[in-house]
Amino acid sequence: MPLPSSKRRQKPVASPKSQIQGSAHTRVLRRRQRLPHSPHIPAPSSLVSIPPQDSYDGALSQIESLLESILDAVINGTDLVIPYQTVRPSPGVPPVVSLEGGARQMTTEVVKFPGRNIQEVKRFDAIFRILELSHEALLTGNLITKRNIYYQNTELFRSQSVVDDMVDNLAFTLGVGRGDLNIVAAARGLIAGPIDVMMRGGATVQYGHGLSGGNGNLIPPINSVDKVDFHNTRWLLVIEKEATFRTLANSGYSSTSRAGHGILVTAKGFPDLATRRFLSTLHSVRPQLNVFALVDFDPHGVSILRTYQYGSQRLDHEENVTLPHLKWLGIRSSDIMSRSSIIMSHSLQDSQSGDSQTSQEFASQGSLAYSFGGSDDERPAKRPKSNYPRDSNESVAPLTLDDRKKAVSVMKQICGEKGFESAGLEQMQELQRMLMLNVKAEIQTVDNFGDITDWLDERLSV
Amino acid sequence: MSKQYLTAHTVDQAHPTEIFSLAPTPTSLFSASGSSALRIHTTTDPTFPLQQTIPNAHKLGCHHVCTARGGAGHVAATVGFGGEIKVWTCKDKDGNVGGEWTLQWETTPSSNGGKNAATNAPGRGRSVGGDVWAIALSTDEGFLACTTSDGRIHVWDLAGRECIQTYETGGSSGGGSFAMAVDLSRDGRLTASGHESGAVYVFNNDAGRLVYSLSGLAKPIRAVAFSPGGKLLAAAGNAGIIALYSVDHGEHVGNTKPSSDRPAWITSLDWNYTGDYLLSGALDGRVKVWDPTRGICLATHSETDGALWSVRWLPRNERALAPGMSKGEMFCAAGASRSISFYREATGS
Repeated sequence: MPLPSSKRRQKPVASPKSQIQGSAHTRVLRRRQRLPHSPHIPAPSSLVSIPPQDSYDGALSQIESLLESILDAVINGTDLVIPYQTVRPSPGVPPVVSLEGGARQMTTEVVKFPGRNIQEVKRFDAIFRILELSHEALLTGNLITKRNIYYQNTELFRSQSVVDDMVDNLAFTLGVGRGDLNIVAAARGLIAGPIDVMMRGGATVQYGHGLSGGNGNLIPPINSVDKVDFHNTRWLLVIEKEATFRTLANSGYSSTSRAGHGILVTAKGFPDLATRRFLSTLHSVRPQLNVFALVDFDPHGVSILRTYQYGSQRLDHEENVTLPHLKWLGIRSSDIMSRSSIIMSHSLQDSQSGDSQTSQEFASQGSLAYSFGGSDDERPAKRPKSNYPRDSNESVAPLTLDDRKKAVSVMKQICGEKGFESAGLEQMQELQRMLMLNVKAEIQTVDNFGDITDWLDERLSV
Repeated sequence: MSKQYLTAHTVDQAHPTEIFSLAPTPTSLFSASGSSALRIHTTTDPTFPLQQTIPNAHKLGCHHVCTARGGAGHVAATVGFGGEIKVWTCKDKDGNVGGEWTLQWETTPSSNGGKNAATNAPGRGRSVGGDVWAIALSTDEGFLACTTSDGRIHVWDLAGRECIQTYETGGSSGGGSFAMAVDLSRDGRLTASGHESGAVYVFNNDAGRLVYSLSGLAKPIRAVAFSPGGKLLAAAGNAGIIALYSVDHGEHVGNTKPSSDRPAWITSLDWNYTGDYLLSGALDGRVKVWDPTRGICLATHSETDGALWSVRWLPRNERALAPGMSKGEMFCAAGASRSISFYREATGS
């Protein structure tokens, strides 16, 4: 039965207040000791401390008062109530509407026990279970993954996405971030580069120069990171595609780049919260690190870039997860146009030979046979560089109907912002160009037989 | 024989972002860009002064503007990246011409679908049809043809403000190839569309049916244009060459040889008012004047190495722009450089 057992109910009451205050006290002390290392006064050394995530006490006390109120309700024999707000737009409302209006869909409701139906009873049980697990995680200082919560009772939660939604909604209702509940998503992002990460438990992870093992190095939850030694890294490159990341990591690009040592990161597509929080924190403790993004030239690439920069719509209540200084390294329309046949005919020789009079004729009567003979001698001048021998036009594809719709929706998002930053204007112009050209291109467009390092060297050197 | 054209004037930084489209009236030139404002420059003065700015016309920027080719020049239409069509007029309420251009009406076909949307099944729960892309006005300024990203061509009656004709180019399930270009013949009888698939279709507006399905370029078509006499149809795009079709018989009568083995994508085409010359603009920044009857490129100009998005002849003027100038024909070009370049025929050639 979903009714909470008396043992569970004991827990919030049994937890002595002194214990919480005690832990808060030591945390304050630790924070004071760290003050000289605050981001505003960069430490001379490359070793930087990660400040502990705040509002620890806030989330804990909120959960405790919530659990206490439930206990009171049990004693008084009244309904058990958990406030519960949903951040996700209801299925009937197309997301575009909420985009245009700039208003977030928000349904305020409570989940009661006993409920009006069996679904509500189950929901109450599930939410209560998450609260309980979060409470325990907060007390012990451990982190619990959403995956782990799901496996606590697969029958109750039914699917992983139910847990994901409930955790986000619960965090939104309590006005805290997901991480403040000590609940994290299983790491998805990968990292490579010559940096050392010291965990709060005392362990040190050296990310080395390449990938250790076949799975790469998972990005650690930022809450569990104590210090990071950046050594002499100068740049950080966020890559949309895992394949590109692996190629670069395997070749040791983070140490061999002509732009100096650097860090490679991928979140395999749209970034997860853990990766975004990790990057945001890294940038706040190490502002001198230049951060770049390498994404596909398509509406989703721009959208991924914007998610790193400004966060996502759904998880707008999360804090410290944005990276507004992230620079858009590529790829851009100029990268495509300079090496595809779009402007290939623009050769130096041709423009010197000047205007007119080249007597280009209409082929007679429907003949489709082109004559190439006369243009052979022009060809060498046409190549921007001899090291781009491939006709990269092959990797340029037309936009689909969905791509075009997505592009317009991202443009509306850019336009909806207060103050149209220069980054927004740049993205707007690239999207307009994309729509006019009606082409998209993957990162691989700019590589040279799979070797993208020359292109990167040029652009990472700032 | 070749013709010589000289740069008459350049309006530098006419827009803050790149210019996507130009459309002339007998006395002025509309320009549309990635920024929200439309600009109108006077073309009867050698300095081409700014006549009017229409701010906030299209929030996400404007990709197409059109006026009636050979028309009176009292109506203009624009399409924004958000998929909205706006129709502008310089007539006041009493029908007097002159003064400022004002908004006559606007519609967003992809959201309300116009007349035909109601008859269409809602499909997969998205807005009906694709977004509007290219547009063309009939010479009498009474009809507007517009294409959509899912391959449809709508014809609107501007007086009645309703969609009177829709041509489907896809199968029964819809989903035709993106219609990137459209034109109306001067007599208003025919509509031509150019598609991403490389197809060119000609429709009879009186009968409301497909007349010709023309192939030949195989690559995306970015511009289609009927000759003023209505005998020829020119089409061009990513193939980098111009194809000519006979309108009477639907025959492919010729196309240009490519200027190199990889000619630049052609973005814009325009016939002069006599039909003797054809103007083309391409992404390599070159504007070319062609003699279609003799099949010769008469002139090439490449003032800019940025992409050209639009090239247009200016309607013929009886008066020379300034003392000492010829009455020769003029054309203009604009694109990524954000400037508008005006060219005139050199005297004595």
